[in-house]
Amino acid sequence: MSVFSAFVLLAPVAISNQYYREVLFLCHYYVILACSWDLLSGYTGNISFGHAFFIGGAGYTGALLNLYLGWGPWVTLPMGGLVAALSGLLVGSFTLRLRGPYFAAVTFCFACMLYKWTMIGWKVFGGEEGLSGIDGIMKTTLGNYFFSAILMLVVIFFLYFLSRSSFGLILRSIGENETVSQGSGINTTFYKIVAFVLSGFIAGVAGVMYGHVQMHVGPEMAHDSLSVLALIMAVVGGMGSIIGPVIGGYLLTIINESLRFMGEFRLLIYSIAVIAVVFFAPKGLLDIIMRAFHHVMGQKR
Amino acid sequence: MELFLEIKKLNKAFSGIRAVLDFDLSVNKGDLIGIIGPNGAGKTTLFNMITSFIRADSGEILFKGENITYLKPFQIVNRGISRTFQLVDLFKEMTVLETIMIPCFSKRVRNYKHREEKPRIIAMKVLEEMGMSHRYHELIKNLAFGELRLVDVARAMITEPDILLLDEPFSGLDIEGAGVLSKVIQQMHQKGETMVIIEHRLRDLMKLVGRVVVINFGQKIAEGAPDEIIKNEKVITAYLGKGKE
Repeated sequence: MSVFSAFVLLAPVAISNQYYREVLFLCHYYVILACSWDLLSGYTGNISFGHAFFIGGAGYTGALLNLYLGWGPWVTLPMGGLVAALSGLLVGSFTLRLRGPYFAAVTFCFACMLYKWTMIGWKVFGGEEGLSGIDGIMKTTLGNYFFSAILMLVVIFFLYFLSRSSFGLILRSIGENETVSQGSGINTTFYKIVAFVLSGFIAGVAGVMYGHVQMHVGPEMAHDSLSVLALIMAVVGGMGSIIGPVIGGYLLTIINESLRFMGEFRLLIYSIAVIAVVFFAPKGLLDIIMRAFHHVMGQKR
Repeated sequence: MELFLEIKKLNKAFSGIRAVLDFDLSVNKGDLIGIIGPNGAGKTTLFNMITSFIRADSGEILFKGENITYLKPFQIVNRGISRTFQLVDLFKEMTVLETIMIPCFSKRVRNYKHREEKPRIIAMKVLEEMGMSHRYHELIKNLAFGELRLVDVARAMITEPDILLLDEPFSGLDIEGAGVLSKVIQQMHQKGETMVIIEHRLRDLMKLVGRVVVINFGQKIAEGAPDEIIKNEKVITAYLGKGKE
């Protein structure tokens, strides 16, 4: 973790190209989204398709607070996160008794509702064009890089230590067998809702950050494809591990940007790449990496 | 004799099919009761209703005088009733120690276990009592079936319940495994644990318990000492067949 942090913070020394720094900013953003999704779904086993509800909801909240009330990013970031956390409480409460495809469907519907609201309420939300003219966070690309990098590292460290705490252990038990977890005296409802709130807050802060850095928020931030992207990144990297989504976030963002020259074939190749990774590493790339590491170290898993 | 658990006229039906019918049972402190009956008699359904994994259609379950019929499962555990499961399906990708630590985070354990005792230490102590401490690092999915049963019992015991419900604990065990578990149950009972055990392996059960309740088609058809039950005509007809085991 320390090595990774050093790498992230020192990378701009070696990477002076503005475009590459922007790509790395996107990596940080998507890593935060994937990690926040993993906290909720990777550990509990309830696969959410509604992450865009938190991201877009907070993004628009931050934008509106900035444009209409003049609040700066240092206020809109926590406020957007708070709105997303409350959204998490709302969604969590509605989906408590649901499992599997029913849980997935309801979370999906929440994101769809938000997307439609941005269209229906175009006078407020700007419709398909979204909202522009939002204040930036930092004045330079390098500044934005460091801001997003530090936020990403804070999130990763927080989630890493959370996952190794009693909270993380309990979430894992819920994902493994909620019945036995309840039968062990655990109020699984409480822990699932806390996971929703935390996951929502983190995703919301990322959404506000993205809006301020891009100085624009649009309906694509509430689109279900963003939910699916967070999911895919966590799955490709390795669910239920925090480190896995970091791998998935970086890898898939870089692959996506690298394929820009392919034009309309970009999405096709990207999809094939994802399928190939999942086929050869069904438990995620982290599993492959750990197996290789243990093999080299001569240890049995 | 302190009355711990009182079940009054408990009923449950699934899609019109009666699973438990007007069931009554009293469990006193220190009792070691066996519940037997043919497959589908309603034994596990009864446990599921006591522990609130299934809602009773009607009737009451009183624990130390408190009506617990419609509490949530984790609340039942925190009141002092813990159980094992018929199908032992624990936390496959977690280690034995991690599995036993989960109940340590329950309100019951956090309240009565002094705060300076860390869950890890509490869990290791229980594993030592069960003779499983040497396997603390093993993943649940790698355990032998008998070891799984012991871990499930340890998981249920760690909350120091007032009543321990064991659902077919001997199922799938070989003679050696059954002997180990039998010894553990006897030791727990000698320490004053109140237990209710569902079991099909009558030879193992009858040696342990002081009272047997027989269920058939969701109804209690007999209750008494093991040697009385073995001779009971209704029991022989409904469950044991024409001969006795």
